[in-house]
Amino acid sequence: MPQVTPEADLVELRLPCKAKYIAVARLAVSGIAARLGLTLDDVEDLKVAVSEACTNVIDHAFGACAPEQCMTLRCWAREGELRVEVVDAGCGFEAAEPPANRLQAAQPRGLGLFLIRELMDEVQVISSVGSGTTIAMVKRVSEEQEPQ
Amino acid sequence: MRVERQDAEGWLTVVAVSGELDAYTAPELRTALQEAMDGGAAFLVADLTGVEYIDSVGLGILVAAAKRAAAAGGALSVASATPTVTKVFQISGTHELLGLQPTLQESREFLASRRQENAASDS
Repeated sequence: MPQVTPEADLVELRLPCKAKYIAVARLAVSGIAARLGLTLDDVEDLKVAVSEACTNVIDHAFGACAPEQCMTLRCWAREGELRVEVVDAGCGFEAAEPPANRLQAAQPRGLGLFLIRELMDEVQVISSVGSGTTIAMVKRVSEEQEPQ
Repeated sequence: MRVERQDAEGWLTVVAVSGELDAYTAPELRTALQEAMDGGAAFLVADLTGVEYIDSVGLGILVAAAKRAAAAGGALSVASATPTVTKVFQISGTHELLGLQPTLQESREFLASRRQENAASDS
């Protein structure tokens, strides 16, 4: 899993597992990212990635095996870098290889995870049956950022 | 999110969308596109001028509509996507399938040309 730096601030948000709260997760992440020196493009990438992670939870995480339907958004914020975890205590799944191309991305979960991996600097999916799933991702200030 | 449908030109249907397209809001767009195609529309513009955000759910709805339109002998063209929205199309490799055009007028011209080609190949 991507390392958490000790000086990072933690912001934690617990959300009902309903589609109408995805926009709340997006707003929270973009608000935090805007305070860390990330560019507008970086913030837009984060919004898509976090939405995809939340949509994955809503579509796939829960069933008879895990009745509590909440997800937790954890943001570790430090200057120039934001690490986000989307955590559920759902059914989990046997972690498969990430989609390597757009054709594989057409599979269930595939397109969302494909976009997350394309947009973020670091991504890890930790899941096992019965233990839930964590999607951990890191976005850093773009190196080619133009001077302000 | 807001979805408006215009059928001003007879052969062409424009579905104008504004706001954010995610798992909560995008079903409204799916319904508008499906209703248009159920009513016989085969050439459609999805005018995304006012769309600030899209994710894989909105993308999937547009791709499904483009495939259905093509299967009916028509086509779909996405118009006026912002750079942020365009990036999602490009990363996912769907920009060609979605007939991405910079403006509504260029989408109209693109679809008029496709319509002529289809008519020529049918005759």
